[in-house]
Amino acid sequence: QPPRTCEDYRWEWRHCRGLRHAFHHYYAHGELPACGRWREDYEACRAWESGRAAAAQEALCNSERARVTEKQKYAPVWTLRKSPPPDWYLPLDQDKPT
Amino acid sequence: TVFNDRHFSCEDCDGCVSGGFDSATSQIVLCQNNIRQQSHMNRVVTHELIHAFDHCRAHVDWFKNVKHLACSEIRAANLSGDCTLMNEIARFKFGLKGHHQTCVRDRAIRSILAVRKVSKETAEKAVDEVFDACFNDLEPFGRIPHSKTDAKRAYRDFKNRDRYNANL
Repeated sequence: QPPRTCEDYRWEWRHCRGLRHAFHHYYAHGELPACGRWREDYEACRAWESGRAAAAQEALCNSERARVTEKQKYAPVWTLRKSPPPDWYLPLDQDKPT
Repeated sequence: TVFNDRHFSCEDCDGCVSGGFDSATSQIVLCQNNIRQQSHMNRVVTHELIHAFDHCRAHVDWFKNVKHLACSEIRAANLSGDCTLMNEIARFKFGLKGHHQTCVRDRAIRSILAVRKVSKETAEKAVDEVFDACFNDLEPFGRIPHSKTDAKRAYRDFKNRDRYNANL
């Protein structure tokens, strides 16, 4: 099945084209958003669900994988943990002066 | 997971600080004498939760590595709503095109200087070095939440993450 529901792609596309989002994007990034990609993903999703078109499946997966890769563009500043810090859940000693 | 009675503490604070994250105890401190509006409280809680999230998921050297501190402050200013247009206007800071990033940079520098004894140049250099990486690190939201709608969408994406990852 597609990575997201087709309704999610449609929502993202329509949200991207809205005035509020355009304003927020301009304020945060200094340019207007590009929404064509969500539209293409939505159309690929519909093609996938209705006809199981192989080309549409591949296009959609490539698009989503590219999104994931874009997020990993920058080298992380810190190393990730494998589990929370050891004292995360330990009770605090409330009587100890801070 | 964060628990109200373990990870939050409401205290009186000096000066005009609104809150902080104590990495030694993994606890968020909320300054009950300096927060007077619900919207401000929401913002401070989100801001400190970003720090708590970073402390929980990564080896952040809060005290000895200024770049680590800078990164978390950039993310907290970016994702908490600290830098909305209305908040900036209320601070008499005016700007529109990409002003969010100017605000995030400035507030991160201010936060560093408030908690560490480093020079302004050191703080600025650290922020500039990690800005691109950290401004674009939008975890756990996956987007900059400008509204409740955005926040709800982010939560929806989180709930559907297994399906997303399985079908890439």
